[in-house]
Amino acid sequence: MEQHSLPGARFVDPKVLARIGNLELLAKTVVDGFINGLHRSPYLGLSLDFAEHRAYIPGDDIRRIDWRLYARTDRFYVKQFEADTNANVSILLDVSRSMSYGREGIPKLDYARFLAACLAYFSQKQRDRIGIATFDRDVVEYVPPAAGHFELVMHALDRARAGEPGELRAPLAKLAENYRRRGILILISDFYEEPAAVRDAVRRLRNRGNDLIVFHIMDAAELEFPFQDAANFEDLETGTRIPVIPEYVRERYRELVTNHVATLQRMLGEDAVDYTLMNTSTPLDQALFTYLATRERLNRVR
Amino acid sequence: MFGLSFLAPAFLAGLAAILIPVLVHLRHRERREAVAFPSLMFLQQIPYKTVKRQRIRHWSLLALRCLILALLAAAFARPFFSRAEAGIALDSARDLVILVDRSYSMGYEGRWARAQDAARSVLDGMDRDDRAALVFFSTGAQAASGLTGDVAALRAAIDAAKPGAGATRYGPPLELARRLLEASDRGRREVVLITDFQRVGWDGQQDVRLPPGVPLTAVNVADGDDAANLSITAVNFDRQTVGGRERVTATARLAYKGAQPLSGVPVTLEVNGIELETVTVDVEPNSAQAVTFDPFTLSAGESRGIVRAGTDALPPDNRFHFVLSPGQAVSVLVVEADGAAAQRSLYLRRALEIGDRPPFRVDVTRHGTLRADAIAGRDVVVLNDAPFPTGAAGRALIEHVRRGGGLVVTLGERSSPASWEGDATELLPGAFGAPVDGAARGVTLASLDRSHPIFELFRAPRSGDFTTARVFRYRPLQLAGMDGVLARYDDGAVALAEKRVGRGRVLVWTSTLDNFWTDLALQPVYLPFVHQLARHAAGYAESRPWFTAGQVLDLAAARDSMAFAPGGDEPGTTSELAAGQAAGAVSATTLPGLAGGELVVLAPGGARTMIGGDHPRVLELAEQGFYELRPAGQANAAPYTVAVNLDLAESDLTPIDPQELVAAATAADPGTAVAATTAAAGSIEDHERRQAFWSYLLIAALLALAAETALAGRLSRAAS
Repeated sequence: MEQHSLPGARFVDPKVLARIGNLELLAKTVVDGFINGLHRSPYLGLSLDFAEHRAYIPGDDIRRIDWRLYARTDRFYVKQFEADTNANVSILLDVSRSMSYGREGIPKLDYARFLAACLAYFSQKQRDRIGIATFDRDVVEYVPPAAGHFELVMHALDRARAGEPGELRAPLAKLAENYRRRGILILISDFYEEPAAVRDAVRRLRNRGNDLIVFHIMDAAELEFPFQDAANFEDLETGTRIPVIPEYVRERYRELVTNHVATLQRMLGEDAVDYTLMNTSTPLDQALFTYLATRERLNRVR
Repeated sequence: MFGLSFLAPAFLAGLAAILIPVLVHLRHRERREAVAFPSLMFLQQIPYKTVKRQRIRHWSLLALRCLILALLAAAFARPFFSRAEAGIALDSARDLVILVDRSYSMGYEGRWARAQDAARSVLDGMDRDDRAALVFFSTGAQAASGLTGDVAALRAAIDAAKPGAGATRYGPPLELARRLLEASDRGRREVVLITDFQRVGWDGQQDVRLPPGVPLTAVNVADGDDAANLSITAVNFDRQTVGGRERVTATARLAYKGAQPLSGVPVTLEVNGIELETVTVDVEPNSAQAVTFDPFTLSAGESRGIVRAGTDALPPDNRFHFVLSPGQAVSVLVVEADGAAAQRSLYLRRALEIGDRPPFRVDVTRHGTLRADAIAGRDVVVLNDAPFPTGAAGRALIEHVRRGGGLVVTLGERSSPASWEGDATELLPGAFGAPVDGAARGVTLASLDRSHPIFELFRAPRSGDFTTARVFRYRPLQLAGMDGVLARYDDGAVALAEKRVGRGRVLVWTSTLDNFWTDLALQPVYLPFVHQLARHAAGYAESRPWFTAGQVLDLAAARDSMAFAPGGDEPGTTSELAAGQAAGAVSATTLPGLAGGELVVLAPGGARTMIGGDHPRVLELAEQGFYELRPAGQANAAPYTVAVNLDLAESDLTPIDPQELVAAATAADPGTAVAATTAAAGSIEDHERRQAFWSYLLIAALLALAAETALAGRLSRAAS
C-alpha cells in the first residue's frame, strides 16, 4: 500500500483521534483536514471542485447560485460538483469479537469505527446516501442508505461493540438481499477466514452490481507477531488455547499472514473488489486517500 | 590463590547459588496467563514443537548475575591474604628478634658468657637482608634496638650488656617480640630466646602468643648446670635501748637449694665497713636456716650493714644489704594546766612509754613553766587540757607546728577558749565551747574515719572496739566545714578533728585522755589509739632497712628525711637539728630550702644522676647495693642511704622444660592447642580485619547489581 503524506495530516494519527470522544467531530476533523490538504496537494486528479453549471430550477439551494455568472449573463445558474452523484454508500462493519483486539495500536474495532465515521462523513459531504450494517455471525444493526441517515449511521457506530464470534458468509448473504439498488459497499473486517470463503461471501454482495471496497484491518502484532515469552495463546472468538513458543513460530506465522493478505488481494481483485490492508497504526488519511482514488475511478466508469 | 585464606570458608558454599540464574535463564519461561489473540487461524497451521533444548540468549546478563552471587559469597567468606599461613615468603629476608635474659640468675657461673656467645652466633647467622632486634629482659623487657641490619651495633650492645639485679619474667619479652614482629611485613620472622629457663619466670598463665607461623628457638644457657644455690633471704632486727643507747640483734635467714650438704659456710655481719662477727654454719640439702649475730650498738646517723654467706656460683644472692638509723624515738612533750591534778597525764604517759615501734620519749611539764626551748626538737606537743601557751612559748609552739611538728589538743575542764587568740586561732580546726554533758550513760564513739591513718589500724574486724568507751563530758567543736572530722560521738558531735597547718598537724580531741571525762583510758583500745594519735601527729614513717631491686623510692619522703652537714645551713636550724639528733629524735624534720630541691643520686654501680627538684617523684632502684642521695651542691652532707637487695625468688634456679615454654608461646603443644588456636584465630581475625577485603567485594557486588539492573531493563525494552 502506498503511503502518502498529505500536508496537515498529522491530526489523523489514530491514537490521537482516539482522544476525540465525539465520533462526528472526529470524522469532521479528519475529513475536512484531509480535504484542505487535498486542495494544497499536487494530486489534482481528485475532483471535489466545481464541475459545470446548470440552469437554476426553483427549489435549488440559492447558496449554489453562481453570482459571478449572473453578473455576466444576467441569468441564474447553479454550480454542480463532479462528486455530486447521490450514490448509495453503505458501510458493512465487522463487530465480531476478534475485532476487539489491539496490542500495538488502538483496538481494531475503534480504528474501524473511526474509519467508518470518516467515510460516512466524507460521503455525506458528497451528498451520498449513507447507510451502515454491523455484523458478527449475524446482522447486528442495519441502517439503510438514505439521505439524512448520517446521524443514524453515527449513532450506530457509537453503539458498535465487539462481543460475539463472527463469520462472513451468513450475515453478508443476508445483507446482500437488502442492497438491491446499485451502490457502493464498504466492507471493514479483519477477515479471519480462508480467502476462498471471504471471496464467496463477498461475491454475494458484488453480484447485485454493487461496487465493493474492502478494508482489511489488522493490528501490527497480528502482522509481526512480536511476542517473546512462551505462553498459551487463546483464540478470542473460539476460546481455543494452544501453547506457543513465539521464537519458534514467528517466521512461519509471518509467512502465513503475508500469504493470506496476498491471496485475499488477488482473489478479491479478480472480482474487481478494491482491497486495502490497514494497519491500525496507520493514519486514517491513507484510508481516505484510497477511498477517494476508488471513487474517482468509479465515477469515471459511470 | 597465592596466600589467600578465608575467615569463614563455609560461606563459599553460597557459590552454588550461581546455578540459580543459569537455571532461570535456561528454564522454559512460560507466562502463566494466556495471551489473547484474535485468531489462532495461522498459529494452528504451524506444527507444534516441544522444547527439548533451551539456550541462553543473554550471556552478558547471566554472567553479571553469576558475578554478583560469587562476589557476595566471597565477601561473606571474609578472605584475607596471609603470607605466614601460606608458608610462602614474598622474599627470603628475615626479621629476627633476639631475647636475651639479663636477670641476676644469668650471673650464675658461665651462663652470661654462654648467652653472649649464643647471641653473637645468631648475629653471625644473619643474611645481608636480614634484620634483627635485640631485647634484654629481666623483670621487664627493653628493646636495645629496633629491627635493624646493623650487625655491628647489635654486637656492640651484646658485648656491653651485663646481668642485672632483676628477676626473670618471660611474659614481657615475648609480648614485646610479638609486637615487633606483627609490625613486620616480611615473610620470614623468627624469635630466639636466650635464657636459663627458670621456672619462676613462667607461671603458664601469661596469655602471650607469638604470631602464627613464627618459630621460637630456645637457647638454654643453663644446660648442664648444677643448680645448687645458697642465698640470704632476709635479715631481721631486734632493737632494744640499753643505757640510752640502741642495740640491735640481727638474724639472717639462709635458704639452700642443692643436693649436696654444705659445711663450714661462713656467715659474716659487716656494719659500716667493719666486720663485726662471722658465724660458721653447716647447711643441709634443700633446707633453710637462721643465723643470729651478737647485738651491736647503733652509732649516730645511718649505719650500713651487709650480711654475707659464703660464696657459690651465684654470688649476688649471698649478700644482703641493710640500712639502720638510730633515734627512731618520737619525742613527746605533754603540757598540763597549772593547778591540774598530779598524775593528770598518767594514763597518757604510761601508754606512750609502752610503745617501741617507735619508742616514745615522753616529758611532762606545766603550762606556767613551759619555755620555748622545751618545745624545740619535739616531734609532738600535747596540750593535755591546758590553755594555749603565752608569750615566747606560744610563738614557739606555733612555729613548731608550721615547721612540721605535731600538736595534740585534748579539751577538758581547764581548756580555755579565750587562751586561743591571735595566731593561735589558726591552729584550731574550729572554735570550741563550754563543756557539754553527754547522755545519762554518756556518749560513745559512733563514727570513725577508718580510712584515716589514725584509725586504719582498726579497720579489720576485732582490731579494736571504740564503742565500749563512754564519754561523759566533752567540749563541742564547731568546724567551718565538714572536712577534718575524724570521729564523732553518737549524738553527732565532733570527737576528733584534724587540721594541717604549714607542714605540721593539729589534732583536737574534744574530751580528755584520762579517766575524768571519759573511761576511754580504761579500755583496751586506748593504748593503740594513743600510739596512732602520737605517730600521726609526729608524721612518723617507719624507715625501711632495705628495698628490693625493681621497686621505686618516693623522693619526696627521701627529701623530707635528709639532713644537712654542719655549716652552710640556714641560721636557727642547725642547733635545733643537732639538739634533736643528740637527743635521738627522729630526723623527720623538713629543712627549709631543701624542699623540692635537686638531688644527686649515686647508684651502687658508681653512676651519678642529677634529679631535678620538680621531677621525677620516684627513683627506680634497679641495682643491688647502696644508693646514696645528697642535696645538689652538698657534697659533704650526710647522704640519705637506701639499701637494695635482689628479688630472692630469682634465687630459685629450678628450670622449666624449654619446650614447654616454646609450645605455650607458639601454641605447638597439643595440650594448649585450643587456647593457642583461639589466640591464633584472634590474630587471624585481626589480620583479616585490617585487610577488610570483604568491604571491597561488597562494593563490587553493589556496582554489579546496578549494572545488572540497567542491562536487564535495556534488554527488556529491546525485546518489547
